[in-house]
Amino acid sequence: MIRIRRTGRWAARLIALLGLWMAPSAYSALDPPPEGNIKLQISPRICTLTGKDTQCETPVHAQWRSSREESLCLVIVARPDVKHCWEHYAEGVYTIQLTFAEDLTFQLRDVSLEHVLASEVLRVIREAIRYRHKRRQPWNIFD
Amino acid sequence: MGWRGIGHIAALLTLLFGAGVAFAEDDCAAPSEECVAVGRWNLSVAVGAGVRTNPVIHGQDIPLVVVPQFSYYGKRFFIDNLDPGVTLFEGETNTLSLIASPGYDRVFFYRSDLQNFFLGNFTPAGGATQSTYAASPQQERREIPARPRRITYLAGPEWTFKYAGVTGQLDYLHEITGRNHGDELRAALGIPLGQMGGSWSANVGVTWKSAAIVNYYYGGPDFYQAGWALNPFAKIGYSRPLSRKWKLEAFVHCEHLGNGIADSPIVRNHYVTSAFVGATYVIHR
Repeated sequence: MIRIRRTGRWAARLIALLGLWMAPSAYSALDPPPEGNIKLQISPRICTLTGKDTQCETPVHAQWRSSREESLCLVIVARPDVKHCWEHYAEGVYTIQLTFAEDLTFQLRDVSLEHVLASEVLRVIREAIRYRHKRRQPWNIFD
Repeated sequence: MGWRGIGHIAALLTLLFGAGVAFAEDDCAAPSEECVAVGRWNLSVAVGAGVRTNPVIHGQDIPLVVVPQFSYYGKRFFIDNLDPGVTLFEGETNTLSLIASPGYDRVFFYRSDLQNFFLGNFTPAGGATQSTYAASPQQERREIPARPRRITYLAGPEWTFKYAGVTGQLDYLHEITGRNHGDELRAALGIPLGQMGGSWSANVGVTWKSAAIVNYYYGGPDFYQAGWALNPFAKIGYSRPLSRKWKLEAFVHCEHLGNGIADSPIVRNHYVTSAFVGATYVIHR
């Protein structure tokens, strides 16, 4: 019994150490990308439409990071009203309230908007509604 | 027939259907009169004017004014008003379920019975538990001692089918709440009569109640020992959609009480008639 208790204590310590070791990497969700690359993350990445919902309505958080300073713009394909630019930044954050019914493609482009530097898709998933037969009940007085 | 008998029937039905009909993908793709969404509550309320006659001496007729209806269908589990059940398999034409259902006859003794709430106007009043009767015109009237009729539940297999537009239902139920240990057979057919300014339908069927059930409600050791009873019934119904949420509904339902019930000294009428006309509003579907 004592051995089990000791083993459990050591296991707990080991897990705690592992947690401490992993914490920084979990904390910085957006690690610096390899040289010359730009990393883009959006949150949420999926919107689920349930029941009679026809569209998603949610704030979307976009975050990018580069290994060097960049001048670029964040745009959403087929949404020309959304455009946010940075000049000489190595990272950026942008939050926007969006209403949408289809997938949205977020892109980081150069300031001329000609070249796509990074891309992420916010997907819309519709809950599949299953149907089944109602109970047939001619015995019931109200059926 | 006890649990063993019900088990045999369930096993037999399962074998029959399992051999002939696989778990067919059902043909339901949208909500309709026949189909419901899985995992959703369905709530509706009928408001109108109606009555169910009470055959018991001193029993008051039961008004049908506000009739709430609810149901929930999971993948297998369902609850349909006061009847929970589990669908063992479901095909396009045949369905086999195990269901539980409250003992019906209590509605005539307690106005507060939930079955009167879900099929009529809830009035929390006492029931006709004490009656005066005369066994013959020459006899003086005698008091029948008050006796409670508890809420009971029956459970067993239910087979439903649809063939050429006709809907069928067959239930064999055993009392599981330990009050009377009786058995009940419910069989009915629903027959569409056509469209004449709305949908017309006829329902016909029988309810067989074992002596144990009949005695629990209508008998007593010192005044009447009943046998089993076979109650045939017929119903004419009318329904017409008024909008997406509203539906006009009317019906007349007449049930003849079998001798086991009709001969009881606390029963004054041999028929129970229910009639209703009103509108049903779908609250949630």
